[in-house]
Amino acid sequence: MERKYLGEFEEIVLLVVAMLEGEAYGVNITHEIIEQTFRKVRLNQVHASLHRLEDKGMVISRMGGATKARGGRRKRIFTITAYGRQALHDIQAIRNKLWQQQPSPITHAIQI
Amino acid sequence: MKDNQPFPTPPRWASRLLKWYCAPHLLEEIQGDLEEEFEYQKKLNGPKKARLDYIFNVLRFMRPFALKRKQNQYPKTVYHMNMSRHYLLLAYRNVLREKAFSIINISGLALGLACCIVIWLWVDSERKTDNFHNYPDKLYNVYYTLHANGLATGGQTIPRGLTISNYKDYKNTFLLADDLKEAIPEIQYASMYTTGYELPWGHPVTFRHGEKLHKLEGSMADEDFFKMFNYPVIAGNKQKALQGKSIAISRKMANMFFNSPGDAIGEILRYENKLDLIIGAVFEDLPKESSLTFEYLISWEAFMAGDVEEAISSWHTFIQLGNVKDRPVVESKIKDFLSKYHEGKEFKIELGLQPFNQMYLYSNFENGKPSGGRIDYLNIFSGVGIFILLIACINFMNLATSRSVKRAKEVGVRKTIGSSRSQLVVQFLGESVMLSFLSLVLALLIVQLYLPVFNATTGKQLLLPVDDLYFWSLLTGLTLLTGLVAGSYPALFLSSLDPVRVLKGAFRFRKSAIFSRKGMVVLQYVVSFLLIISTITVTLQTRFMQNTNLGYDRENLIYIRVEGELIPKYGIFRQRASELSGIAAIDRSSEPPHQMKFAVYAPIKWEGLESESNTTVPFQPTSVGFDFLKLMKLELVEGRGFSRSNPADTSAFMVNEKAVKQMGMKDPIGKWISAWDKKGKIIGVLKDYHTKSLHQPIAPIIVDVKEDLFFGDIVVRTEPGKTKEALEGLEEICREINPDYPFAYKFLDHEFEKIYHTEQMTARLSNIFAGLAIIISCLGLLGLVMFSIEQRRKELSLRKILGATISNILGLLSKDFLILVSISFVVTVPLAGYFMNEWLQKFAYRIELTWWIYAISGLAVVLLTVIIVFIQAFKSALANPVKYLRSE
Repeated sequence: MERKYLGEFEEIVLLVVAMLEGEAYGVNITHEIIEQTFRKVRLNQVHASLHRLEDKGMVISRMGGATKARGGRRKRIFTITAYGRQALHDIQAIRNKLWQQQPSPITHAIQI
Repeated sequence: MKDNQPFPTPPRWASRLLKWYCAPHLLEEIQGDLEEEFEYQKKLNGPKKARLDYIFNVLRFMRPFALKRKQNQYPKTVYHMNMSRHYLLLAYRNVLREKAFSIINISGLALGLACCIVIWLWVDSERKTDNFHNYPDKLYNVYYTLHANGLATGGQTIPRGLTISNYKDYKNTFLLADDLKEAIPEIQYASMYTTGYELPWGHPVTFRHGEKLHKLEGSMADEDFFKMFNYPVIAGNKQKALQGKSIAISRKMANMFFNSPGDAIGEILRYENKLDLIIGAVFEDLPKESSLTFEYLISWEAFMAGDVEEAISSWHTFIQLGNVKDRPVVESKIKDFLSKYHEGKEFKIELGLQPFNQMYLYSNFENGKPSGGRIDYLNIFSGVGIFILLIACINFMNLATSRSVKRAKEVGVRKTIGSSRSQLVVQFLGESVMLSFLSLVLALLIVQLYLPVFNATTGKQLLLPVDDLYFWSLLTGLTLLTGLVAGSYPALFLSSLDPVRVLKGAFRFRKSAIFSRKGMVVLQYVVSFLLIISTITVTLQTRFMQNTNLGYDRENLIYIRVEGELIPKYGIFRQRASELSGIAAIDRSSEPPHQMKFAVYAPIKWEGLESESNTTVPFQPTSVGFDFLKLMKLELVEGRGFSRSNPADTSAFMVNEKAVKQMGMKDPIGKWISAWDKKGKIIGVLKDYHTKSLHQPIAPIIVDVKEDLFFGDIVVRTEPGKTKEALEGLEEICREINPDYPFAYKFLDHEFEKIYHTEQMTARLSNIFAGLAIIISCLGLLGLVMFSIEQRRKELSLRKILGATISNILGLLSKDFLILVSISFVVTVPLAGYFMNEWLQKFAYRIELTWWIYAISGLAVVLLTVIIVFIQAFKSALANPVKYLRSE
């Protein structure tokens, strides 16, 4: 299995993009991350990692509808690609494999 | 910040900043996201925090991914090549369509450029003087500063009187160069230097080898001279060239006496028929960048031995430092070097270092320190050159700007079909750069044709340095800059026009544009006025100096040096020469009478002199023959002149009015004076006459008779129209009496004019430059008048229909321009007055700056303006108004 490099933050962004399913763009991704992870995240960070993800081919984008709140400007809507999904699954699989090999007390301790 | 407005928006500047830096393809989404976030934050935290947050967000987005521009997907090359061909074609058509404008524009700029190039060539060649030596920054000349009577004076050469401890003891002269080298180890080489041809005693020296006799001008120098300066030795030994009783000669001189330079080495040249010198070396003829000029160099040792005559008793001391950094050390050591020999005297002498390559340009001394000199003229003319170019540029710009009105529609159309602003800027800049390069070609042509004339006027040998890369790059840069500056206003202004308004025909220049154009016209006129006024002043002053009554008649005078056998046989010579036909009078003088340079500070005593200390006044001594008054046609105020029939007159004196005043004598006739070991009575008082250039005031003169002096000049007045005959006769007698010396003579009026060479050159050059400036300004004016008529065509036609006469229209058109001329005249007068007064201060005898100098220049310019306006205005005043009104 080829190693796909995905940073921790990128992984979260990618997960959120997958979660929002066709509604993912800069602002709501940011808000989603803030709400779900309690991190202090900035718009520019999200934009930067979305661009990186697009460069890696894990998301694709198109220009979507405009709303009044945006001063009539269009959004860039991101959707996850199959390759992106595969990457998430791979990471998940590796994690699971490693988790299963943990001696049980630690597993417990962390799971609590 | 406006917090309480109903719909708070993000700060405008932050949005603009974002728009400016952000890559276009990302701008929309980022703007949108930021705005949405702003609205969200506003609801959550209030507008104040939201705005702050917005600003920080904008700043945070300054990251590579947002800054990086996307590459254009469409290849540009083909499209651009077509466009540039199109631009070129258009520029060409424009030049052709507006022939008059194009000619004015291009030729005006070409003249300005040509003028600038010539001045630059001249200034550059002057600045290169003495810069060809190997270590220009290690070579220095030692100058002196003398503090006496509260005054500081100085000079580049140190008077011998100051370098010896005992004035009377001439044998005890010590050599400053050798002493300095011994006392200050930082000095690597040192050499004395003095010429044999400077005034007051200098003259071309006669050399003999076998039968060959030649008169040549040269100098004396120390052994170290060839080690310090880059005068390449082509034969003989450089190290030993100036040791013992030897001489080094130039290639030219070697070829005069011998077959080749190599043959000259070891041969003997006889100096003035009294001293044999061995040729130690032959050096290459001096480059024209050398300010020192000499055909030969006699070793200092031979000079000190006594038989070589000195031309002036103050000598140069040149030193070369071992290390550039040692200058401050040497300066501090050298400063009081001579003071120890002059302790307890009422004057104080200091020495200083002047870089050798600055000697030529900074030869004047002020307060005992080197100050200006030739450099002043260089600066003035550089200024003139820059100003003329400026005028030409202003013209170019004005014309281009005004002409651009006609192209406003073109710009409108271009913009509508999608031309971007930068394309328009490039088009207009390109056009003006192209025109300026056309001008450059024309300018180079003009320079090439004009340089021979310029060389003849200034005595320079300037050439276009065709192979000099620096010159070309400078020229290209200058032209490019001119083109860009000239094209900048139309380019930036036109490209900013709103196409809709232009195409509707609502096109007007802004007030500020018109104002600045008028300002430029005023500036042009100021420069032209300044140049005209200074030309008139310089010309008048030069003419004044040439025509001033000097107090003697300088026509038909020639003079011959007293040398060789002429010294003992002067009486016979005078006798025989006066019998020749064509000779009106003959006598002698210790110095050429038009430029006497002796001055004695040695004590002179006179009857009624109260205290002995009152002898600081320098008197000018001259010794003449018995017939001097008759020869020179000098006027007597009282008493009588010298008379051959009265032998006691050899111990008598004559003085001039100035001397009488200086001595404070009343009724001077019969009173005694004692000067240079001789005491005698005053027999006559001469009316003051000029013995120096008119830069200096008349000096007090004391005259006595000495017909047996071993130096001086024989002065001969020929009868008008018989000069040639007289010269032939004189030559014959000279050859007979004085066979060891070639016959050489000088015309006094010719030499007199040479004194004012700089002024004459300045006058001629400023004539040329003022003419150029006027031509260029007129061209500019012509263009502007044409333009203003063009613009007001409809107005003028309407006026005519409503009954305006031709003179009404002429008046209307010329009024505007005459106002500009008057404004610039008012600005110029005080400026010109100030500068010209400064310049005239250099002359002891000078013209007054009268009102009519200004009046003439003012009148001339007004007349020119009116003529130009009228010629142009007449055409439009006579035109049929229907022709221009038909279309609307």
